Amino acid sequence: MNDSTLDYAEIERELQAFEAEERRRLGLEEEAVDHWHDANPQSFTRDQRATTTMLHGGLTMAHDSMIAAALGGLGYTMQPLECPDVEALRLGKEFGNRGQCNPTYFTVGNLIKHLTHLRDQEGMAVPDIIKRYLFVTAGACGPCRFGTYATEYRKALVDAGFEGFRVLLFQQQGGIKQATGETVGLEINGAFAKAMVQSIMAGDCVNLAGYRIRPYEVNAGETDAALEDCKTLLRDALSRRKSLVTALLRCRRRLNQVAVNRLRPKPKVSIIGEFWAMTTEGDGNHRLQRFLEAEGAEVDIQPVTAWVLYNIWEHQYDTRRRLTLRVDDEGIVGLKGKDGTTKLALLWGTGHAVRAIFGIYTRAIGLADYHLPDMDQVATISHQYYDNHLRGGEGHMEVGKLIQTVERRKAHMVISVKPFGCMPSSGVSDGVQSLITARYPEAIFTAIETTGDGEVNVQSRIQMDLFKARKRAEAEYRTAIERSGLEASTLERKFRRKAKALHHPPHVVAGTAANQVLELAGIGEWTS
Amino acid sequence: MRDQDSSMTSDATVRARARLTSDAIIVGIDVGSTTVKAVVIDPLSKEILWSDYQRHETRQAEKTLELLVAIGGEFADIPRERIRGFITGSGSGPLREPLGARFVQEVNAVTMAVDHLHPDVRAVIELGGQDAKIILYQENEQTGDKRAIASMNDKCASGTGATIDKCMIKAGMDPADAVRLPWDPSKLHHVAAKCGVFAETDIVNLVKSGIPSDEILCSLADAIVSQNLSVLARGNTLKPRVLLLGGPNTYLPFLQACWRQRIPETWQSRGFEWPKDVPIEELIFVPKDAQYYAAYGAAIYGLHEPADVGLYRGLDPLKQFIAHGRKAKLGAKAGPPLVAEDEELARFRREYSIPTFAHATFEPGQIVRGVIGLDGGSTSSKAVLLDEQGELLTKQYQLSKGNPIADTKELLAKIKAFVYDQGATLEVLGFGATGYAADVLEESVRADVNIVETVAHMMAAVKYFGDVDVICDIGGQDIKVLFMVNGEIRNFRLSNQCSAGNGMLLQAMANQFGLPVTEYADAAFKAPLSPKFSYGCAVFLDADRVNFQKEGYSKEELLAGLAMVLPKNVWQYVVQIPRLAQLGTRYVLQGGTQYNLAAVKAQVDYIKARVPDAVVRVHPHPGEAGAIGAAVETLRVVNRRGKSRFIGLDAAISLEFTSINNESTVCHFCPNHCSRTFIDTKTPEGRTSRYISGFSCEKGTVESIDALKLLEKRRKELKTHYPNLVDYEARLAFRHFYTPEPIPPDGTLIDDVDVRTTMLGRIRKTAVRRTIRRSDADAIARRKHLRIGIPRVLNIYSSGPIWRTYFEALGLHEMNIVFSDTTSEEMWAEGSRYGSIDPCYPSKVAQAHIHNLLFKKHAQKKLDFIFFPCITHMPTFVAGTQDSTSCPIVAGAPKVMRAAFTKEVDFFERAGVEYVDTAVTLQEPHYFARQMFETWGPRLGVTEDESDHAVREGLKALRLFDEEMERRGMELLEKLEAENKVGVLLLGRPYHLDPGLHHGVPDEYQALGYPILSIRSIPKDPGWLERFFKEDLDRGFVTTPLSVQDVWPENYSTNSVQKVWAAKFAARHPNVVVLDLSSFKCGHDAPTYGMIDNIINSSGTPASALHDIDANKPGGSIKIRVKTYAHTLKRFEEELSDQAAKRNELQRRVAEKRRELLGVHRARLREASLADPRARRELEELEAAFFTYSQEDTVPAGYTETDLARQDIAPPPPVHAMVFLRRAPSSEVNP
Repeated sequence: MNDSTLDYAEIERELQAFEAEERRRLGLEEEAVDHWHDANPQSFTRDQRATTTMLHGGLTMAHDSMIAAALGGLGYTMQPLECPDVEALRLGKEFGNRGQCNPTYFTVGNLIKHLTHLRDQEGMAVPDIIKRYLFVTAGACGPCRFGTYATEYRKALVDAGFEGFRVLLFQQQGGIKQATGETVGLEINGAFAKAMVQSIMAGDCVNLAGYRIRPYEVNAGETDAALEDCKTLLRDALSRRKSLVTALLRCRRRLNQVAVNRLRPKPKVSIIGEFWAMTTEGDGNHRLQRFLEAEGAEVDIQPVTAWVLYNIWEHQYDTRRRLTLRVDDEGIVGLKGKDGTTKLALLWGTGHAVRAIFGIYTRAIGLADYHLPDMDQVATISHQYYDNHLRGGEGHMEVGKLIQTVERRKAHMVISVKPFGCMPSSGVSDGVQSLITARYPEAIFTAIETTGDGEVNVQSRIQMDLFKARKRAEAEYRTAIERSGLEASTLERKFRRKAKALHHPPHVVAGTAANQVLELAGIGEWTS
Repeated sequence: MRDQDSSMTSDATVRARARLTSDAIIVGIDVGSTTVKAVVIDPLSKEILWSDYQRHETRQAEKTLELLVAIGGEFADIPRERIRGFITGSGSGPLREPLGARFVQEVNAVTMAVDHLHPDVRAVIELGGQDAKIILYQENEQTGDKRAIASMNDKCASGTGATIDKCMIKAGMDPADAVRLPWDPSKLHHVAAKCGVFAETDIVNLVKSGIPSDEILCSLADAIVSQNLSVLARGNTLKPRVLLLGGPNTYLPFLQACWRQRIPETWQSRGFEWPKDVPIEELIFVPKDAQYYAAYGAAIYGLHEPADVGLYRGLDPLKQFIAHGRKAKLGAKAGPPLVAEDEELARFRREYSIPTFAHATFEPGQIVRGVIGLDGGSTSSKAVLLDEQGELLTKQYQLSKGNPIADTKELLAKIKAFVYDQGATLEVLGFGATGYAADVLEESVRADVNIVETVAHMMAAVKYFGDVDVICDIGGQDIKVLFMVNGEIRNFRLSNQCSAGNGMLLQAMANQFGLPVTEYADAAFKAPLSPKFSYGCAVFLDADRVNFQKEGYSKEELLAGLAMVLPKNVWQYVVQIPRLAQLGTRYVLQGGTQYNLAAVKAQVDYIKARVPDAVVRVHPHPGEAGAIGAAVETLRVVNRRGKSRFIGLDAAISLEFTSINNESTVCHFCPNHCSRTFIDTKTPEGRTSRYISGFSCEKGTVESIDALKLLEKRRKELKTHYPNLVDYEARLAFRHFYTPEPIPPDGTLIDDVDVRTTMLGRIRKTAVRRTIRRSDADAIARRKHLRIGIPRVLNIYSSGPIWRTYFEALGLHEMNIVFSDTTSEEMWAEGSRYGSIDPCYPSKVAQAHIHNLLFKKHAQKKLDFIFFPCITHMPTFVAGTQDSTSCPIVAGAPKVMRAAFTKEVDFFERAGVEYVDTAVTLQEPHYFARQMFETWGPRLGVTEDESDHAVREGLKALRLFDEEMERRGMELLEKLEAENKVGVLLLGRPYHLDPGLHHGVPDEYQALGYPILSIRSIPKDPGWLERFFKEDLDRGFVTTPLSVQDVWPENYSTNSVQKVWAAKFAARHPNVVVLDLSSFKCGHDAPTYGMIDNIINSSGTPASALHDIDANKPGGSIKIRVKTYAHTLKRFEEELSDQAAKRNELQRRVAEKRRELLGVHRARLREASLADPRARRELEELEAAFFTYSQEDTVPAGYTETDLARQDIAPPPPVHAMVFLRRAPSSEVNP
């Protein structure tokens, strides 16, 4: 284009320069807004595996150590965090959002506590910590806040000065592999699943055996010593990928060395409630299990495997309900594009496999006649009070377990423990359970909310009901002796033949001592 | 049965020892939070032989020792091995071991005593110093066994002796008068009894409104009783006989009478038949010796224990424990001291001691000219005098005496005296006020300035320190933290009601130890260690304090520990920003609490530990900062205006006033019937004015019908100008706005799928065409008359159109779908006594709505069903979420309601109404249809085809609802953009549309001229939204504007993700600001707090958050937030307007430049055109463009004003000459 023609480009250039100058003059040159985005670092590749320690925690100490051993056997460097304490709660509150539930504060604070220790006491540089450690946990899709734990971890980590620290969710790892095309560090495969199942069940076995034996041990501390030996045996088997059954059989022999006297009536207390609060063994529930034992109770705990079964049941229920819809819906539980029948068959198979494996393990360690709950039955009896579609926390299980415990005389007292702010448990189950206790006035039921402080108040409330439970256990024992028609000396003599620590008299009434007497007297039924 | 006067003791005149019939005694000891009580009983007769109690003043062990010494004196001949001890009470823990006593849980102890003394009692209400308990006896109908069910308050409840004591002091009621005060239910005022701090706040406000102390105390008693009946009773009926125990119940007759009025009301409402021939004083009674029940019960418990349990160990172990035992236990758990070494303290004192203020001196005859600033605070009032240059001449202080005008008069008189006593005269150039008193002073003394405290504090800080980053003001009741940018408040945090009272707490603590608050710091600095308090509200801290005292911490250590928890309360609880460094490095501490150097030291240490290079300064006049700020602003205003409107110093000092609060001042313009206070003032010249306080809505501001009409007219105009889409949505959600399509008639062919199970168990689905199945004529006719009630709560707010339309489509009459009323205080008061749990208010208020349906709507015209579905999943517009769940509390609330309304009495059955609470998911339309048919098919007699049709229509209505809201939102947003105004977006959950839940906060902003948007009203068209999210899309953070993946991967809760998305939108829209509401105990909002803060703060969008809203309307808290935020919004809107003006100028200048450039080219072309035909054509083209262009003035072709305004949102389009020459269509040039 020559001088005589219209040079649009030149006009444009001149105008742009002029406009830029004018913007400066007018102060319109604002900085571009840098909107906030959550960094969510997730990178963990196979080649980092050897130099990366995976921190984890959140179950009982037995479970956590078994998981560390089992995944260690797969080549991961695992490190379970200590049981969360009040200091962890304090840090969780400082760096977490206000108004969180206690499991969040405790577990998030526990991670911060550990990292702070690495930084401040062990002198590790933060970049090193971020490079050499990560935290791995399970995720969820709601509806309660459990699913947002990862959000809280990230927030707290950033605010505590560990920006970039990786928090991995088991569930997301497969997706990352697909998305990045990298060889992912944490492989969720068959070996991983097997290791998890074995370690969870091994943890359950040790815990269940401990809570059965310890209340009746003759020499204080003997059970715990035996349990420590068992944990070592099991960890060794898991980490070396040896037969778990063999290890459990050796545990059985070791545990049976503990001297017991089951002719001491003790109130049996079933602990139900929110999963974390009833599982943890530290300040998160004011060391509830040990407190009860110290107060002379036998504690009936819920195995983690039951939780696994509940998860399977959820999928089964949702699938069954939708199987015959004329048009399938989209969504997580919708069956559009899915084969509902096959899914149900797989779930059925998985559920039965879990029960079968659990049965083998519990029999191996000597937990005779231990039964996992029948999930359909629990769902059916609770549905009218707590709709089976309602989820979060333990869902309807708290209600169902309470009804079952009362109806079947499984325990003298039921404690439903929930952490402060637990939505499904404090906000719904407690409300519904008040109706259940009105329907079953014979139930001794205590709902407690743990806040991390006020331990004395919580324990005081438990003592209040435990007093009644103790009286009931004693009365039941007296009646059992009366019905047995046996003298004390005869009972003791007969008991010596059944005095193995892991022997468990058949269930007739709630109390172990009364059941023991009934067994010795050959009585298998109880009429009020 | 023992009668009311039965006592545990008999013939006290006979010496205790002489009455002993056994050779042994049992001692029962009750160590409570304020007293130690002991009884000695005879194991055979169970009679109390000896009893005494002592206030322990935190010396539990010492007082127990004293009591044991006295017992030893009385029963000197009983050998130690024949004495057994049983101990109860919250403070008994450390004493068990030294005494050898067996612990008995308190409730068990009381139950034992009650069982023994009053076997016919069915309920016990015990109010202790720190806790409240209700014990109910339930009888097993089969076995006849009695079972005691006990419930105790959580830490929040205020129905305790400690709270009552504090409130009595605040109300100015002497305890000697309180024990004679009669119950008068005719003049009750609102007091929130949920927690002690709430109650205290309300009582302070009542005092300030001039309510007499007897009315306040009766109101407090009523609030406590109602709270206990609605929460602590856990939905159970307290059946007679009811036993009242504990200090307050024993000594306060008005409290006893209140129980005697309110409990029978619950009997009446629940249809419980009680013996009306028995005097109420016998049915609800206070026994003699009520204070000893726990101690007596502990001793009775001992009778059931083996003889070797609880053997008394003598006095020596207890003496050992007092001397050494306690300290040994503390070491491991204790925290560090406030000061580690002397040198550190000396250094700190040098740097932070507040300089002594030297008041100005004047020459006799001097005329002093200046302005007065006054801060009428919650507990004290302060006034300052500044000269014309802003120099502080004097400052005056006084504790509030209850009436702001009286306080002001005295302060002004002090200032006058200060000047005149020196022989000078004072010319007041202006008067400004802030704080609680500012509103009344604006009217009565015609203050020149009435500014909100936050802005006043900001001005005071800026006056002394210039550009600072953070101002932290800690007053008696409130904590205010202001985040500054360029000398203006960019954001702020205020304590909510829960954390109020920290300054007061420190003072109260010092008082409790008999220490003047001025000596607090010296004492705290001496502590060698400190107890670790958990942060939280004043009630929690007080509970902790009591526990630590029990553990044996000394006064100094407790004071140190409390000072050290203060920064945690400020930064972790109120501010909630753990990374202080992001706020800046320049901190100013002010507020009266800063006179306490222990508090300052704790703050400085805390801040510097987190921001090592922080510069923390203490305001030289920390207590008067508010007054100084008011004076600074007064100076500015008066200078600008050139004159003052202040009535003058003498007139103000001589102001006469009357304060009236009686039936004549009650507002009757709405059902709230607010008890207002009229403060009438009269100047010496006879000018009168009236100030009205104590109303909860603006109708309370007027007195006559005419004034009300005028007010409503103005309100209507306001609504037209500044629409409130929150209000609109709240109404539309329940209105009939869509008439569903009729169900196709019998014989119509429809498409369907035949579902069969094969032999192998697989499912086979085959498409078929068949005729529709219709229900019979009888069923259709029956449906026309059925009435269904639905509670207007929770997610019904976002699904209302579905339910209405579903039932209408099935033939129910539009008028027969009945929603409960909107939430109100009145509704809550009437229907709040069914709950067995205490979740968030939006959830627990559902009981009041069910009550409303059962006892109001049903009473007016019979309801056949109450439908309250458990909505497990809610559909969402947010894309790519992990799930779409409802909150579990919200979803489960219908089941909790079923339990509450059927537990003791089946209220539904009694009313002949069926309660339907089945679970539904709104996320899967076909499964939802199945669930609806399963639920309603049999009940309404409808076929599945009919139900499916109705579901489709219901879902369509929901879509139309969304579309309507978005249409209104679009209109509003475009108007805001065009006019450079701002709209307030309510970030909340759907049920925050309920006026009873949002407490009218959005309306406050509407009244200030800001239109209100709801989340639903934001247009969701991705095309429209793209311009706001362009950068996120370009950089790959999101794949659609409707995603929250970039900020929250764990996104499954529908209402939460929608809130987060709306925050993202607000952060990207220049004309939208945020009002963030969240309910107390909202579990699903909690994880979003930090996220929403980050989103909003990164863009600089103004935002005001009011978290922890609950049943009571936090009037004071709302007011200060609204006023502070209004200040920010005004500046923000000015900035928007300035920016728009600058952009217009830019456009004008660019246009001129373009003309100029084109002119140059035109001239050049003209020259060339003479010889070149091509240049001539181009010249013609250019001339045409010029012609068009000249017609358009400043707005270029293809653009609108709105487009120009948007240029700062997305990268501005290049100002391209082609645009103007070729007239491109707008779609090509729009950003």
